[in-house]
Amino acid sequence: MLGPDTAAYLIVAAFLFTTGALGVLVRRSPLIVLLSLEIMLNGANLALIAFSRHFANGDGQIFALAVMAVAASEVVVGLGLIVAMARKRLDLDVDKLSSLRG
Amino acid sequence: MILASAANVLVWVVWVAAAFACLASGVAVISFSNPFYSALALIGNLGSLAVLYLLLSAEFVAAAQVLVYAGAVMVMFLFVIAYLGGKADAPWTGHLPGQTIAAIVAAGALLVEIVLVIAGQADGHLSSPAEITDSFGSPAEIGRLFLTDQLLAFEITSVILLVAAVGGVILGSHSRQEASLGDDDARA
Amino acid sequence: MNAAAWTCLLLPLGSTVLITLLGGSISRRAAGWISTVSCAGAFAAAVVAFVVMLGRSPDDRSELSTAYTWLAAGNFKVGFSILTDPLSMFMMLVVTGVGSLIVAYSLGYMDGDDEERRYFAYMSLFVFSMLLLVQGGNLLFLLIGWGLVGLSSYLLIGFHHERPSAVAAAKKAFIMNAFGDATMALAFFLLIQKTGSLDFDVVFSRADGLSQTVLVLVALGLLGGAVAKSAQLPLQTWLPDAMEGPTPVSALIHAATMVTAGVYLIVRTNPLFELAPHVQELAAGLGTATLLMAGLIALVQTDIKRVIAYSTMSQIGYMFLGAGIGAYANAMFLLMVHAFFKALLFLGAGIVIHALGGEQDIRRMGGLRKLMPKTWLAMLIGGLALAGIPPLSGFFAKDSILAAALAGDTYDRVLFAVGIVGAFLTGLYTFRMLFVVFGGEQSAYVREHPPHAGHDRLVNWSMGLTVAVLAVLATFGGWIQFAGVWTPITDWLEPVAKPLIEATNSQEAVASIISVAVGALGIGVAWWIYSAHRMKAPRPWAVLEHKFYFDELYNGLFYWPAVALARILDWTVEGPIVNGSIVGVAGLTRRTGDWFRALQTGLVRVYAFALAAGLAVLVLVFIAVR
Repeated sequence: MLGPDTAAYLIVAAFLFTTGALGVLVRRSPLIVLLSLEIMLNGANLALIAFSRHFANGDGQIFALAVMAVAASEVVVGLGLIVAMARKRLDLDVDKLSSLRG
Repeated sequence: MILASAANVLVWVVWVAAAFACLASGVAVISFSNPFYSALALIGNLGSLAVLYLLLSAEFVAAAQVLVYAGAVMVMFLFVIAYLGGKADAPWTGHLPGQTIAAIVAAGALLVEIVLVIAGQADGHLSSPAEITDSFGSPAEIGRLFLTDQLLAFEITSVILLVAAVGGVILGSHSRQEASLGDDDARA
Repeated sequence: MNAAAWTCLLLPLGSTVLITLLGGSISRRAAGWISTVSCAGAFAAAVVAFVVMLGRSPDDRSELSTAYTWLAAGNFKVGFSILTDPLSMFMMLVVTGVGSLIVAYSLGYMDGDDEERRYFAYMSLFVFSMLLLVQGGNLLFLLIGWGLVGLSSYLLIGFHHERPSAVAAAKKAFIMNAFGDATMALAFFLLIQKTGSLDFDVVFSRADGLSQTVLVLVALGLLGGAVAKSAQLPLQTWLPDAMEGPTPVSALIHAATMVTAGVYLIVRTNPLFELAPHVQELAAGLGTATLLMAGLIALVQTDIKRVIAYSTMSQIGYMFLGAGIGAYANAMFLLMVHAFFKALLFLGAGIVIHALGGEQDIRRMGGLRKLMPKTWLAMLIGGLALAGIPPLSGFFAKDSILAAALAGDTYDRVLFAVGIVGAFLTGLYTFRMLFVVFGGEQSAYVREHPPHAGHDRLVNWSMGLTVAVLAVLATFGGWIQFAGVWTPITDWLEPVAKPLIEATNSQEAVASIISVAVGALGIGVAWWIYSAHRMKAPRPWAVLEHKFYFDELYNGLFYWPAVALARILDWTVEGPIVNGSIVGVAGLTRRTGDWFRALQTGLVRVYAFALAAGLAVLVLVFIAVR
């Protein structure tokens, strides 16, 4: 294989994943949280593709495509939620939306 | 061979550029307070990822990434951000200082663990990648896999998309009902 | 013969089931007729079986008929069987004969009561239970019948369940009988363990080889049951309270049949008692002590039914005396004639109570002999029979027992002496009651509530006719055996219960003369105190009035300690441990829930952080384990 070997790609994927996780945990706007989720999913996708190349098995790419479809669906629903929240004139702040508090 | 080494150097250069762009845009997404800028940074992230996929001989996935992700999903995001307008602006963080520090620690720990595993070559499993054929990653290969070995995944994925579409319609339809009720009141 | 015996047993059961199932769809009187006819039918079946048995030779009169194996556990088998032999035949005739007369009397006595159907269902149940007891082919079915008569007695004593005193009396009777049931069950366990069976012949033949300790324990257990059921010392306190039940119930259960079951038990298991002679002597001693004590208490009773109840206790004491010294046939003879005259006395008292509108206190009665002459005659016959005056039935039976006691050893002679004193007391208390109730001038109460003849012909006939039949039986019933001359009963029972003692003719004569004289003396004293001079009777000692303080003794021995123990347990165990643990568990659960609730902050970021932190830890674990 030309270029760096699989380990390098995996490290990039790890960085992406943790960056996305950090975004989910730290940001207060649900929109930014959704974007961070996308980053996490992409990190996972990169790892899948890297392994698919490493073992010369096409299943990894299939899985990555499925993940992409799922991510798209989830974004649809998530954005629908955000729009509904805005319609109801709720504050777009995950900390304020705590009516499930026990 | 010099040619081989030239190709190798080229690949290395491309790789470094794409990786750097990827990581930088990722950090940018979570850093901007203006969501518009964050979405644009994500588009950049998706583009550089597509380059990385190409380097890994996953041509179809790279194309799908650009078409679907960057083309459709991000456009949806930008539509919503434009619709929300000023409401989408969000301060960076606040109210839970402990949360921020703890989150950084947890994420950092996770990163360190994964890097350690990878650096240790995962007990030697990551030493040598296998040889691939020319058709690896081509649309024909993906199509063949989807329709034979991974048929179930294919079908389920389509169902998920259907469900998401239905969900989106339902989530959006509430406001239309409220609007129509308002019309009834006006007419009466 | 077996068919007749089974018919006799099952007819009353059938009538119970029939009355219960038909419920309110039949009239109350119809229920009474069903019960009466079934008991009469049972009597007819018993007579048929008796006639068949007479036709057989004396060695061939015992038959065991098994319907099916009721219980099989390893080698131990018990069958649902009935034994038709001279002793059970004797009891069957007495139970069904006197029983059907009393049930017929109840047709009139209970007429108009709202719950008449329940009453007759219970009466039929009782007759069935008593028959099961005497016909039971093995000890287990005897015990089943034993328990069922206890149940019927409980149901019938507490028949007027709206009266708390009746309910309490029913409970008292049942609990004291349960004590006897327990000792009997223990004895049976021993028998099963040592002989491997509960069939009469097997147990009796194998009992020879058992150790003396086992035999004494078994006999004591049986004696415990007999003492409880027959209301002898020390378990006698339930019988006077049992008078809360309707009068026919007192007549049938607590005079004629159930309380005599103890005597039947001793006679039936006489081989076991003979192998433990000290226990048998103990039985005689308890009976004698009871007859004396009961006679003394009866002197001061003011309730007409309680006088008769204590006299029952006393007479059963005589029967225990007879069975205890080995004069089995004499004891059974007294059982039979006692059934006649005691039922007569009770039913006559029932007529008096009925006529006076429910009054039972003899101090408010008086001068009834002119107003109720036929009842007076019947009660007089019953009283004379009870006191043992010839030629009425009681004389023949009672003095044969006393003569047998005279014929025995020193211990038996002591019992004889006490029995003579008892005969004096019997005459005294019986005629005290009779003179106070029927003699003298009419009391104020009687003048206000003149006894009225009922207008219902059925009621009058049912009560009058049955009492008349019993009066005839009480008069002539004793002529069936005259000791020393003509002893069909002793001969009849000999295959089953061979007497241990037979008095000589001279002893018979001596005993008869003394007992009659003493009885007449008692009657004379009663006449002198209560009738001729109507003088104030001497104030009875408090001991007698309190029935020798037995109730108070048992109260202190059993009831108060139990209550105290219950209170202590409530403070120490129930409160802190049982209640506290439940409350504690509930509180702990709630506190745990509250703690978990604190984790639900409602903030998505916190949940996401939990996810991330957990993941980090897990990965660390996986790495470390690898």
